[in-house]
Amino acid sequence: MQQRRTIDQIHTNRVLLNGQLDTPKWWAPTVIVLGIIVAIGFFLIGIMVNKGLGVTGLSRPVYWGLFITTFVFWVGISHAGIMISAILRLSQAEWRRPVTRAAELLTVFSLLTALLFPLMHAGRPWRIIYFILPYDFARGIMPNVRSPLIWDPVAISTYLTGSTLFLYIALLPDLGNLRDRTTGWQNALYTILALGWRGNPRQWKLQTVGGILLSALMLPIFVSVHSIVSWDFAVTPAVEGWHSTIFAPYFVIGAVHSGVSAVVTMMALMRWLWKWEDFIRPEHFDALARLLIVVATGWLAFTFLELLFAVYGLDAPELELRDMQIFQWPWNLLFVTFLFTGYIIPVGMWLQKSVRNNIALMFWSSLFVNIGMWLERFMIIVPGLARKTPFVYTWEAYRPSGLEWFILFWSLAWVTFLMLLFSRFFPLVPLFEQKESQTFGDSIKIGRVRVPAIVREAD
Amino acid sequence: MASEAVHSGAHSGVHAEAHEEAHHELPARVEPDVTTSELIATTEANATGVRNWMWILGALTLVGIVVAFVKVLIEWSDQDEWGYTAAMVAFLFSAFGGAPLVAIAGTLAKGNWVRPIARFAALCSLVSIICTIWMIPLILNLPMLVVDGARRRSIWFEGPDVSPHIWALVAMITLIISALGLIYAYAIPDFAAMRDHSTGWKQRFGAWLARGWIGTTVQWRTMRMRIGMMGTLYFFTFVFVHFIISTDFAMSLVPGWRDAIFPMYHAISSIQAGLAVTVIGLWAARKYLGLEKYLHLDQFWSIGRLMFAFTLLWGYFFISAFIVFWYGRSGSDQMWIDYLILGPYFWVFILAMLFIWFTPWWWLIWNRVRRSYNGTAIGAGLILLGVFLDRVRLYVAAWTVPEDRIHERFLTEYPSTVYPDVMDIFIMVGALAGSILLILAATRVLPILSIWDVQQFNLLYRPVEYMKTKVSLIGKPD
Amino acid sequence: MTLQREKRQYSWGMVVDVDKCTGCQACVLACQAENNVPLNLQDRFERARAMSWIRVERYWEGEFPDIKARFIPIMCQHCENAPCEPVCPVFATYHNNEGLNVQVYNRCVGTRYCANGCPYIVRFFNYWEPVWPEAFRNHLNPDVTVRSRGIMEKCSFCIQRIRRGVRNAERENRNVVDGEIQTACTQACPTDALVFGNFNDEDSKVSKMRKDDRHYTLLPHLATDPNVVYLAKIDPDRSAGASHG
Repeated sequence: MQQRRTIDQIHTNRVLLNGQLDTPKWWAPTVIVLGIIVAIGFFLIGIMVNKGLGVTGLSRPVYWGLFITTFVFWVGISHAGIMISAILRLSQAEWRRPVTRAAELLTVFSLLTALLFPLMHAGRPWRIIYFILPYDFARGIMPNVRSPLIWDPVAISTYLTGSTLFLYIALLPDLGNLRDRTTGWQNALYTILALGWRGNPRQWKLQTVGGILLSALMLPIFVSVHSIVSWDFAVTPAVEGWHSTIFAPYFVIGAVHSGVSAVVTMMALMRWLWKWEDFIRPEHFDALARLLIVVATGWLAFTFLELLFAVYGLDAPELELRDMQIFQWPWNLLFVTFLFTGYIIPVGMWLQKSVRNNIALMFWSSLFVNIGMWLERFMIIVPGLARKTPFVYTWEAYRPSGLEWFILFWSLAWVTFLMLLFSRFFPLVPLFEQKESQTFGDSIKIGRVRVPAIVREAD
Repeated sequence: MASEAVHSGAHSGVHAEAHEEAHHELPARVEPDVTTSELIATTEANATGVRNWMWILGALTLVGIVVAFVKVLIEWSDQDEWGYTAAMVAFLFSAFGGAPLVAIAGTLAKGNWVRPIARFAALCSLVSIICTIWMIPLILNLPMLVVDGARRRSIWFEGPDVSPHIWALVAMITLIISALGLIYAYAIPDFAAMRDHSTGWKQRFGAWLARGWIGTTVQWRTMRMRIGMMGTLYFFTFVFVHFIISTDFAMSLVPGWRDAIFPMYHAISSIQAGLAVTVIGLWAARKYLGLEKYLHLDQFWSIGRLMFAFTLLWGYFFISAFIVFWYGRSGSDQMWIDYLILGPYFWVFILAMLFIWFTPWWWLIWNRVRRSYNGTAIGAGLILLGVFLDRVRLYVAAWTVPEDRIHERFLTEYPSTVYPDVMDIFIMVGALAGSILLILAATRVLPILSIWDVQQFNLLYRPVEYMKTKVSLIGKPD
Repeated sequence: MTLQREKRQYSWGMVVDVDKCTGCQACVLACQAENNVPLNLQDRFERARAMSWIRVERYWEGEFPDIKARFIPIMCQHCENAPCEPVCPVFATYHNNEGLNVQVYNRCVGTRYCANGCPYIVRFFNYWEPVWPEAFRNHLNPDVTVRSRGIMEKCSFCIQRIRRGVRNAERENRNVVDGEIQTACTQACPTDALVFGNFNDEDSKVSKMRKDDRHYTLLPHLATDPNVVYLAKIDPDRSAGASHG
C-alpha cells in the first residue's frame, strides 16, 4: 500500500505550481463555458425571486422539494474537508496529504453554494436579509432561537468561517512559495496574502499549532452542522418518516460518505487535468476506498435502522408512507437506484483491489455514490411531505419544474467554476504537505526485509 | 539494525513543535527472548495473591448462582423482579464485550501501540459466557410476542411467537463461539511459546493447541487472515447482540418507546465501557504483575484519547435522541422524557450522565491526565460506574412495565421506582465476580500480554534521533 | 410537559359538531369572502396550491353497498402546544394570550417550515401574487390584509371580528357576551355545526358543548392540545363512538 517514492523538491515545485505559473490550455475555455452556465443560473434565480415561487413545482403539502434536497446534498459534500484534513490529521493517516487542500476547498465552496439554496427558496428572500442585516434590535423582535432554521445559519457560517481559516492557514507556506516565483501584480498579491511568510521555525510552529487547534475545534462543528440540518426534519412529528432519533448521526455519516466520494472524484480529475500522476497515486485512491467501504457500511447500518424503526411502531400512516417509498411507482425505481448507486455497486467494486487502484473506475464509482446520496435526501424529504398525515384530502405528488432541475445542475457548474478559478491562483495540492510526507516516510530493515516506516513524534 | 537517519531538508512545523514540548522517555526496546521468558513467567507471577483473589471471587460467584436459583424458585414469574439482572447482563456485555473491539480495530488499522494490549482486550470477550448464563432466566421471563391475543410491538413483526427468545439465544451462542475463536486466533503463536518454554501440563496443553506452529511465512499469513476473519465475525456479532439486547430486552417492553438510535447508543456506550475495562485491566496488570517494561504511557495515552472521544460521542448520541423527543412533544415523545429521564429513575439518570459523560469529559480533556496511568484509570472507573447506572435506568425501567400495558400506544401511568433487594445485589455481585474470575483464570494460562504481539511491537518500533529531538520510527508492513 | 394554560380573560375556541355537518361548504365560501382568500381557479387546483382556510374533508366509511359519506370541517386548530410556532425563525407565528395562534404577515419570510410542522395541513403559501378580476376589487374586506406572494396564511378565527367585538365591549365597559362574536364560518353554517366562543367563560355555549361525551380532538397522540374540539358523529347503525382522529 505504501509505495515509497522519492520526489525531489524542485520537481515538486515545478509540477504542483503548473496551475499558476504555467496555466494549462484547456483552462480558459472551460472557465468561460462554465461562466456562461453560471450567469444563466443567476438569471433564472433572479426570475424566480421576481415572479415568486410559483415557477417551481412545489405545492401543498410538498412545501420543500428539490432546493432543500440540494441544500442538504451540498452541506453533505462539505463534510469532506474536515473529515480528510482534521480527522485524518488527528489520527495521523499519512495518505491524506495530497488531498487535504482540495477537500477543504470543496468544503468552503459547497458550503457557500448550500447557503444560497435556503435563501433563494424562501418566499421573500429580501426579507431574510433585512431581518439579519442589520440585526433587528429596533423592534425588539429577535430571531426565534428555538427554530432549527436559526441554528442552521449559525452552524453553517461557523463551519464556513472555520474552514476558510483552516484553508488559509494551510495555504500560507505555499503562498510564500508562489510569492518568490512571481513578478508584477501577482507578486504583489501573494506578498499581501502570504503575511510575511518566511518559513522560520517559529512560523512553522504557529502554523502547525493553528492547524491542530483548528482541527480539534472544527470537529464538534463538523458533527453539529449536519446534525442540525437533520434536525430541520427530525424535530417535526407532523411529518411521518421525519421524526426519527437516528437522523443526526445518520445524516453525518451519509455526509461523510458522499463528501469523501466527491473528493475521490476530484482527485481523479486533478490527476488527469493537471497531470499530477506523481503526486496523486493509486495508493491514495486505495486508502480512500478502504475508508469508504467502512463509512458506507456504517451508513448502510444506519439506513437499515432508520427503516426498521420506522416500521417498528406499526402505525398505519407510517406503513403507508414506507409502502409508497419502497414499492410504489415511481418511488420504487428511485429507491432501487438509490440502493444500488449509493451502496451495492460502488462498495461491490471497491472490495476488489484492482478497482481500488484503477483511477477511471474509482472516478465512476464515486460519481455513483453521489447520485445515490442525492436520491437518499430526496427520498427522505419529499415522500414524507407528500403523504404527510391521515388527511387523505391533502396527499399530493411532486414534480419538480424545469427551472428547479436547471438550478440543481447550475449548482454543480457553480462549484466547479469556483474551484477552477481558485486553481488559477492557488495550488490545489499543498506543496509543503507533499514535502513533509517525503520527510516523514522512511523504512526500517527487519531481518532481510525492508518495511516502510513512518516517523512519529515521541508519543 | 540501526535505522537510517531521517532525511533532513524541508522544514516541518511538526518537528519545530517537537523542540519545545518536554517529552516522556521513549519506551526502551526489549529483546525477543527476554519478552518470551518474562511474559511466560507472568502466568505464575504473584501466585498466592492471585490464588486468594480467585478463591474470593469464586465464592462470590457461587453465592450469586445459589441466590439466583432461590430467586428463580420464589420469584419466577414476576417480570419486574428481573430488572436488575437484566441491567447487570447488559452492563457486563457492554463493558467486557466492547473491549475486544479495541484490539480488532487497532489491528485492522495497523496501529502499533495497540499490540501489547490486544490479548487482554480479546480475553475480555470470555465474559460472554457469564452473560449467556444470566440471560437464561431473562429469556424465559421475556413476554411472548403475542400477549393477550394481540401482537406486541417488536422487531420481529410477524415472526413466530418465540422469535425474541430464540434469537437472543442464537446471538449469545454465536457470541461465545466468535469470542473463543477470536482469542484462539490471536493466541496460536503464544501456545507455541508455551509449548517451547514451559513445563508440565501447560507444555502439553500448549503443544496441543499450537497445532504445529513453527512460524513459517504461510502460517503467519494464515494467522493474520484468521484474525481478520474472526475479528470481523466478532464485530458483527457484537453489533447484532447489542441490537437484540437493546430492542428485545429494553425498548420493546415499554409501549411507545420508538427510538431508532437506541441500538447505536447502546453500542457506543459499550465501546466506551470496553475501553475503560481495558484501561483498568492493564492498570492492574501493570501494577500487580510487574509489566512496567511492556505497558507504557503510550498505550494509556492512546486509549485515554479514544475514551475521551467516545465520552463525547455518548453525549452526541444521547442528545440526538433527546432533542428529537424534547422538541417533538407528541404523546410518546413526552413519555420517553417523563418516564426514562424525569421518571422514577431520575437520580440514577443524573448520576449516570455525570459519570458516563460530564465528569470523564472534564477529566480526560486534560492531556496531563491522559498521560498518567492513574489519571486514565480513574477516568475509566468513572465511565464504568456511569455505564452501569445508565443500564440500571434503562433496563429496570423497562422490566417494571406491567405486561398488561404492553399494547398501549404509549405509557400514560408510570410504574414507581423499584429498588434492588438483597438477592439482586448478590446476583449482581456474583455475575461481576464471575466475569473477573474468568479473565483472571485465563491469564493463569495465557500471558496477559500476547508474546508475539509484544515482540512485533518491538520489531517495528525504533527510537531515533532527529535533529535535536527524539522521534520514533514505526514500521507499517503490508 | 403540557403547557399550563394561564388564566386569561378570553380563550377563544370552536366546537364542531360533526353530527350536524352536512358538507354543504357554506363555511368555505363565507371564509373565502370574509378573509380575502384568493380565488382558486382551475390552475391552482391542478398545481395543488388551492387555498381555503377551512376545508370540508369528505371520506368514506364502510364498504359498498354499506357505505357512508362522512364530512369533517378542518381549519387551523389553534393548538395550545402548536408545532408550527417554535419552528418559525422570525416569530411570524406565535401564540397570543387569547388562545389564538396568530400569523404576522409582515414578519413572514416564507420558509414554509411552519406548514411542514403542522399536522393538520391548514397553512397555505402564496406561490403567486394574488390577483382578483377587476369586478372583484371592490369586494375585498377592508378589515383584512391582502397578502402578498411569498408568505404563509391560515385561519385566524376571523381575528378582525374578535377585535371589533372586544373593542365594542370595552367601550361599553363590559365583557363580551357569549354569541356576540361570530366567525364567518359559524355565522354561515346553516345547521349550527360550528360554534365559536370563549372557553374561559364557564357558561358559554362552547364550554358546555365541550363537556359532551362525544368530544374529541384531531390527532390527539401528537399532544398539540387544540382549541378546536369536535363532537363525534352519532351513528344509529353502529355503536356510538368517535370515528375520526
